[in-house]
Amino acid sequence: MRFHWSLAAAAALLTGAGAATNAALRRPGAPRSAPPGGDRTAPELTNPSWLNVDHPLRLAELRGRVVLLNFWVFTCYNCTNTVPSLVELDRRYRADGLSLIGIHTPEFPPYSGEHDKSNVARALAKQSITYPNAQDNDRRTWDAYGIRFWPSFVLIDKQGTIRFTGYGEFHPDDADFHVWDQRIRELLAE
Amino acid sequence: MKGGLVLLLLALAACRPAAPFRLAVEHEGRVSRFRLVGAPGARINAQLKPALELADGTVLRFDSPHLTSDTAYFADAPTAMAALRQDVHEGIVRASVCPKGEKICRSVALAVQF
Repeated sequence: MRFHWSLAAAAALLTGAGAATNAALRRPGAPRSAPPGGDRTAPELTNPSWLNVDHPLRLAELRGRVVLLNFWVFTCYNCTNTVPSLVELDRRYRADGLSLIGIHTPEFPPYSGEHDKSNVARALAKQSITYPNAQDNDRRTWDAYGIRFWPSFVLIDKQGTIRFTGYGEFHPDDADFHVWDQRIRELLAE
Repeated sequence: MKGGLVLLLLALAACRPAAPFRLAVEHEGRVSRFRLVGAPGARINAQLKPALELADGTVLRFDSPHLTSDTAYFADAPTAMAALRQDVHEGIVRASVCPKGEKICRSVALAVQF
């Protein structure tokens, strides 16, 4: 028997790994203001396949509401750990004008089962998620928003402008939850 | 001048993010056993079993019976075994890596030769 370490080829593809060293990563969870300048208009959602809603949602029809996008996948423990917080925010503010939208973005190719709508539906039921979810199987929304980590969040105001972004697991009533809660209330009051 | 260039290249190499895992391979006859060894602090997601996508289209999935208490991560190096074709010597290892303390997961794909 022979044993050897494989050679990691030069063409290593570290998706998102480069950001591991940036300062922002040391403080996940808390929302940050969208960077000033540039076009902060939230890219339109174009996903064709949705759950928990009877038609593909578009941001254009949600003008006048505050929108919180949650980029997640059911195989990500940090994502599923954050779901109770999102369910709570949905419960608190849906009637006041918050639209929480899950953007379910697979990590792996289809052999993983993450692209399968019935698997996503099971995950939604298991976690009592009743807010709409898009299947972002081709990562079109992930790419349009420049997302790199699971879970990530984008908070959009009533005019369709990105106001806050963030990433990382948070829990009901922890410090980051309170900051998200505060940001949502600010935008609802505008 | 030349020394400066070498220093610059070394500095650039040092800035590159280290791979969060590496692949170990044992060959026993025609059967190959692959082990995915995480770097310190790099937790490998057990809810999305890592994969080795071979150049011939075969996909091997890594697994281990030893998980962390929350069953979210592998507690030791997951393995995969297969009898490979003689001409298959490269592929892509794909894993979901959730570094301790970062509260996020990242998808990492690493080209490997063995």
